[in-house]
Amino acid sequence: MAVQELELTNKKKSTKFSTVKFDENIKEKIEAAPDLVFRDGSRVSGSEMWRFMTTEGPKRYPNLFSKGKNHGFSDDAELISGFRRNYFNTTMYDRLNRFAAKGTPVVFIQGGQTHEPYYAAGGIPIRPGQVNGWATNSKENMDYDEADLRRLQIREIGRQALTVDACQTAKYEIIQNELVQGISIIAPYLCTRCSDIGYGVEAHRHGKVQLPLLPVDFPVNNQQNKPWAREYVAENLRRLVRKIAELSKVEVNDDVLWKEIKLHNEKRRLAREYLDLWWSAPVPPTNSQDHTAIAGLGNESSNDPVAAKQILEESLKEVKERIRNNVKGKNLSDDPVRLFICGSCVNPNPHVVDRAGGVVVGKDDGLSEIFYDVEETGDPYEQLAKTMLSFPYELPTEERGRWVAEQVKKSRADGMIFMYQWGCNFQSAAARLVADVVKKEAGVPTIIIERAMAESAQGQEQLHNRVEVFIEMLRQGKK
Amino acid sequence: MSLETLVKISEAVGRRPEELARARNQGQKVVGWLGYNIPEELIHALGLIPVRLGTGGDGKLVEVGSRYISSKNCVYTRNLVGLFAENTDPYIQNSDLIALDSTCLQLYRVGEIIHYYFNINTLTLGVPRNFFLPEAKKYFQAELEEFAGKLEGFAGKKLDAKSLSESIKLFNGIREKIKNIYKFQSEDSPVITWSEVYNVVHAGYYLDREQYSAYLSELLQELEEKHRNRNIDIEEEEARVLLAGSSIPPGDNKIIKIIEDLGGRIVGDDLWTGILPYLGIDIQESSIKGLADAYLKRVPHGALPYLDLNTDKRLQNLRESIKSNNARGIIYYTLRYCDPYTFKAGETKDVVKQDDVTLLEIHTEYAGSDFEAIRTRVGAFLEMLRSGI
Repeated sequence: MAVQELELTNKKKSTKFSTVKFDENIKEKIEAAPDLVFRDGSRVSGSEMWRFMTTEGPKRYPNLFSKGKNHGFSDDAELISGFRRNYFNTTMYDRLNRFAAKGTPVVFIQGGQTHEPYYAAGGIPIRPGQVNGWATNSKENMDYDEADLRRLQIREIGRQALTVDACQTAKYEIIQNELVQGISIIAPYLCTRCSDIGYGVEAHRHGKVQLPLLPVDFPVNNQQNKPWAREYVAENLRRLVRKIAELSKVEVNDDVLWKEIKLHNEKRRLAREYLDLWWSAPVPPTNSQDHTAIAGLGNESSNDPVAAKQILEESLKEVKERIRNNVKGKNLSDDPVRLFICGSCVNPNPHVVDRAGGVVVGKDDGLSEIFYDVEETGDPYEQLAKTMLSFPYELPTEERGRWVAEQVKKSRADGMIFMYQWGCNFQSAAARLVADVVKKEAGVPTIIIERAMAESAQGQEQLHNRVEVFIEMLRQGKK
Repeated sequence: MSLETLVKISEAVGRRPEELARARNQGQKVVGWLGYNIPEELIHALGLIPVRLGTGGDGKLVEVGSRYISSKNCVYTRNLVGLFAENTDPYIQNSDLIALDSTCLQLYRVGEIIHYYFNINTLTLGVPRNFFLPEAKKYFQAELEEFAGKLEGFAGKKLDAKSLSESIKLFNGIREKIKNIYKFQSEDSPVITWSEVYNVVHAGYYLDREQYSAYLSELLQELEEKHRNRNIDIEEEEARVLLAGSSIPPGDNKIIKIIEDLGGRIVGDDLWTGILPYLGIDIQESSIKGLADAYLKRVPHGALPYLDLNTDKRLQNLRESIKSNNARGIIYYTLRYCDPYTFKAGETKDVVKQDDVTLLEIHTEYAGSDFEAIRTRVGAFLEMLRSGI
């Protein structure tokens, strides 16, 4: 199927959703905030952000600025760092286009792992979901429904090209159909979070677009204390860095990698400090959407770790202030039901959770990737390997379950949802075991929910129903 | 079953559960294993009894297994978990330890699940997914060293060079004999069918390895004699197919039955549960290192991604197998949610097309509900092969 077939008919723009309008009351605070400073030294002022988010952005991306019951930016307009984070994320596609135009290697990766080697080698790592977003939003001026349909069509072409059983195929087709220009190398980690990624990478050897393929192996089964496993992963990482550096023409020595590791360690520490504060707060200081996004900055950098760290610092400062003043996150109920989430690539809809009287307190995937720092001594590759192999999410499932149970207790969660994507062999296989360990060790109710891949964003009523009912059940248990 | 040795093998398989129980009563230990890269030589050299586990084709076990693993796992792994949950399989009942490798990560999950829910004693061997890199060789050597050390602890004895050397010789012999037996089934007017050979391979999962080796020698002798004296009756429009794709373990007879009932002739396979484990193992030195290197260099399992289409040993072997067995088409059998093989179906089709060979993918589960639909497709495919289209 050709790219042109993705073009939609000129249907009338949907009017069922409104466009987000930021309250003029916050304009002054936004404009007064310090510049956001990027890795290359460029800066964006508060005024420029306000202009983009209120004028240019809604015009170019009506879909991203659309507001519905179950989608759209967080309603917590008073959270200034949230506004800035939304600017940072929405402009990611423009930055990616600039990187691609300059010849900076954009690297297709997988989530859940450290990003330092990619950045140190002069590359820009992007996760499958971001590649999807980049491809979807490479076409501007789409309303919410059009963008949703485009996303579904891309996914469907991918499934047809590979197999109906696949979940990550859209990314395959995006590259093979050149729906985005500028991905230079496919080099994800082969960790256990995703069953399709290894075969998705392999499939490119047969495609018309030939790119370098270099997955980084991730040996399974409690390998963090085995010196030979660390050496093996370290050597894979050296190979990865050499290959990306060849493309970027950046000279990478240990000092460069240490500098990157230190930056990412700082981000991880900030995210852990944020989570500890949030978990111990008498009332949740942010809603589910903002909370998940802030914690996510500990690992995810939306292609600029320097700017991501700044936003994380600003978020931490604001959240501290809220906790001091006992401010509750916007749209949260009093004493919300606290949910811990497990699984990858998918979350319960935060709007639904909050509206049903719940709040998401954490997720094993996101927490795992910030749980340990990379030790700043010795060989940087071996230290990176040791940290990667220690991430709790990648440990044998029983151990992962025990670790989750600890986090459930620490975050004072009332229940745990294990959610996985349709077709995800690895997470679905771990779901019951993790849930049973958590139930036993933490004493909270658990539920396993499968999310159908083929659903449109608006076709997820059954998914929402299950989440709402689980919250309701937990609410009754709290009484 | 006109071959006397086949009758003997079948009877020996029938006696085997009782033999194993007796051996255990006498203090011997049985290691049931699952996977692709477990060197049986190692288990055998330590005086342990190796038994390859795993059956398929049982819808009830699939349902039982799904309660622990999930409906998004391949039907073979669900069937396996069901086997452990029900615990009626005599080979599982008689296993003192379950050894697995992480070649297929869904099987790795099976190991975790049976350990947690059924208190099964398991031992896992790590397998590098970037198996083609030089650093992978070093890693796998160390992993196998550790695995061997744990097996030694389980056996209560140290591995000695002489025993290992003898075991390697025994298993090299078995591999050679199996390859030779396979050659007979693809001949014109064959004296043994592919299905019969497949059953012989599966008998090797269970039988005492020395006894099995002796049976294979006997079978080869009988085959050579019968082959010399056979009447050649060439069917001009034979639909000669090669079976490839996901595993087809003992008990999963759906596709085999359909092909044979429709008059198709299977002339070879490219299966993990068939000939593949016997190919390309060249053990250069009698040591753990020698075993590790040889197992890593063999025809790889589809679960290990390989990045260069032109040097992929799995595809090279498939193409050679088509040629040597004079197959006209491939039935590529994929189990639902068996990603390693379903992802490769389209690519494999394109690759074999270069040799003017057509490929039919059958994507299915163990349930019988699609039996007729598969029958229609296979029937049309076989007809097409017969007509030379």
